[in-house]
Amino acid sequence: MEEKQTRKPFPTHILVFLAPAAIIYTLFMVYPLLDSLRLSFFTIGEQNQEIFVGIQNYITLFTDTNYAPRFLGALKNNLAFFAIHMVVQNSIALLLAALLASGIRGSSIYRSVLFLPTVLSVVIIGFIWQLILNPLWGVSESILEAVSLGHLFQPWLGLPETALITVSLISVWQFVGIPMILFFAALIGIPEELLEAARVDGASGWQTFWRIKFPLILPAVGIVAILTFVGNFNAFDLIYTMKGANAGPDFATDIMGTLFYRTFFGQQLQLGNPTMGATVAAMMFLIILTGVLLYIFLWQRRIQEIEM
Amino acid sequence: MATIKLQQVEKKFGDFQAVKPMDLTIQDGEFVVLLGPSGCGKTTTLRMISGLETVTTGTIMLGDRNVTWLHPSERDVAFVFQFYALYPHISARENISFPLRAQGESKDVINQRVQEVAALLRIEHLLNQRPGNLSGGDQQRVALARALVRRPEAFLMDEPLGALDADFRETMRAEIKQLHIDQNATTVYVTHDQIEAMAMGDRIVVMSEAVVQQAGSPHEVYYDPANLFVARFIGSPGMNLVSSVYSQGVVSIPGTENRYSVPDGWQTPINETLEGEGQIVLGFRPEAAQLKTDGPLSGEVYASELQGAFSVLHVNVNTDDIVHIRSDRQIDYPIGTTLRFDIDPQMVRFFDPGTEAGIKREVSQ
Repeated sequence: MEEKQTRKPFPTHILVFLAPAAIIYTLFMVYPLLDSLRLSFFTIGEQNQEIFVGIQNYITLFTDTNYAPRFLGALKNNLAFFAIHMVVQNSIALLLAALLASGIRGSSIYRSVLFLPTVLSVVIIGFIWQLILNPLWGVSESILEAVSLGHLFQPWLGLPETALITVSLISVWQFVGIPMILFFAALIGIPEELLEAARVDGASGWQTFWRIKFPLILPAVGIVAILTFVGNFNAFDLIYTMKGANAGPDFATDIMGTLFYRTFFGQQLQLGNPTMGATVAAMMFLIILTGVLLYIFLWQRRIQEIEM
Repeated sequence: MATIKLQQVEKKFGDFQAVKPMDLTIQDGEFVVLLGPSGCGKTTTLRMISGLETVTTGTIMLGDRNVTWLHPSERDVAFVFQFYALYPHISARENISFPLRAQGESKDVINQRVQEVAALLRIEHLLNQRPGNLSGGDQQRVALARALVRRPEAFLMDEPLGALDADFRETMRAEIKQLHIDQNATTVYVTHDQIEAMAMGDRIVVMSEAVVQQAGSPHEVYYDPANLFVARFIGSPGMNLVSSVYSQGVVSIPGTENRYSVPDGWQTPINETLEGEGQIVLGFRPEAAQLKTDGPLSGEVYASELQGAFSVLHVNVNTDDIVHIRSDRQIDYPIGTTLRFDIDPQMVRFFDPGTEAGIKREVSQ
C-alpha cells in the first residue's frame, strides 16, 4: 500500500511543455538535416527518381577532377578564414573587452559603437566595403594618399592573393562585437576582491591579466572559439554579397558555404546537383560536429575540472 | 615590520564623509583592532592603509616611508579579506606562492618559504587542493599563508573570521593571535565583533560615524569608556547607563528613592563638569552591581536570563531605565521581586549627558 502511494503518476505535463519546442525543432531542424544527409547517398535518375548510390557521391567529391580541387580549395580557404577570425577577431575582442572592463571613461559608448556593425545587415556591410575598397571610385585610395601611403593601395578585393584576407578582415570588423561582449561580461564577472588581492600581492597589470583574469574567463574563451568555428564554417552571406557565388577572383574566396551554394543550385556553366549539394552539406555538418564534439569532450571537461 | 602612522587621514566618497580626519599611530609589532558598527569607516581606514583606497587628504607613513600615494603593490603590506579572495583556478600552493612569483623570486626561495608557512599554519597536506575543495577555515588559513609568505611590513585583516562558523571562529581567533605572537608582526585587524576585539587586540580603536571614539587597551575601553557610545558598544550586554541627577555628592534617579553617594575621587571632577549640579549619566557594568539587602539602590526584577555560569537580571530602576545585573545562577529571583543593590565604588562611572563624554576620576596620589 505504501508503495502504491509513493509511486508518482506519469508526468504528462512535462511532455506537454516539451512538445512545442520538440515539434518545431524536429520539423524544421532535425528532419531537414537527416533528410539532406539521406539525400547525399542518392543520385537523381533520368525519370527524376532517386537512386541509391552508397558513398559514391563522397568518392566523387574527393576524387573527381571537377569537384575535388574545388572542395579542397574551399576547405583550405575556410580554415584560413577561421584562423584569421581566431587570431585577429578574438584577440582584438579580448583587448577591447579588457579596456572596456578596466572602467575607462565613456565605456558604454565605445561598447555600443563597437557592437554597431554586428547589428547591420551583411548586405549593407558588403556593399559599403566594396565601395570603400573600389579601385575606381573608392575612398580608401584617397585616404591612404592623404597620409602619404597611397603607394600601398592595391585593389585588395580583386587580387587572388589578398581577396580572402580582405574578406576575412571585413567579417572580423563586422563581428568583433560579439566576442567582445562575451569577454566583457566574463571580465566584469570576476569578483573585485580577487583583483584587489592581486594588487596587494604585488602583481603588475600584465601579471594580473594573464595569471588571474585570463584563466578565470577561459570558459568564455572556449565559447567564443566554438561560436567562431561554427559561424565560420557556416559562413556564406558576406562572400556571396561581395564576390558572388563564384567567390572570385579564381575561387580565391571560395568557402564551404559558397561551394555548397554553387553545387546545389548551379551557377553559370555548372548545373545544379541536389544530391552532390547534399554531400557538400553533409561534409560541412561533419566538420562542425567534429569541432563541437572536441569542444565538449576535451575543452569543456577540463574547464569544469578547473572550476571545481 | 614597521610602525604605521596616520596623520589627519580623511576619506570622502563624493559628499559622503566615510572617515573624518583621524590620527592614529600603530606601533611596531602591535596588534590593533579597528572596531565599530558597519558603516563606521573602519574598513575604509584599513583599505586606505593598504592603498586599495586613496586618501582624500592626509598622510600615511609606513616606517619612515611616506606611502600615501603609493600603489598597493609598492607598499609591502599584506591584506586578508573577509571572503578569503583566493584565486579559484590554482592550487593552494600556487595561491600562497603567487605574491612571491609576482615579485620574481627564485624557485628555491619560493618552495622553501611556502613550506615554512604551510608548516606554521598546518596546511601542508592541503597544498595541492584547489580553494573550492577546502573548508572555510582552511581557505582562510591559505589566505593567511599567502599574506605571511611575503614577510610584509604589516598585516591588514578585514573581518577575516566574519565568514566562518561561530565555533570555528574561536579556534581561528586563537590561531591568528598565536601567529601574531610568533611573528610579532604589526597587524591592523578590522571587526564589528567586540568580543573578537577584546580577545585579540593589544589596542582597540573604537570607531563610529567616521570618527575614532576611543583608542585604548581592551581593559581601558571596557572599564573606562571615553563616551556613551563606547560604553554601550563594548560589552555584552553593554554598560548600564541610567539618566540621573547630581547634587552635592549624591546621584539620584528621578522619580524614585534611589540615591547613590558618589565615591571618593569623583566629586571634584563632577562638580567641575556640571558646574555644581545637574543631569548626569550613572554607568556601571553588570558585574559591578552587588546585590545587598541594605544597598542604596533598588529595582524590580523584570526578566531573568540564565547565561550558563551566571544569570543576568533585568531590573527596572525607574519607569524608563532597565539595568542588567549579573547574579548567582543558583538563586532564583522571580519576576516582580524588589531587589536592593550597591555599585562597586571602583567600577562606577559617570558621563556628561550634554557632551556624552565620560567624566574622568581624580587620579589618587
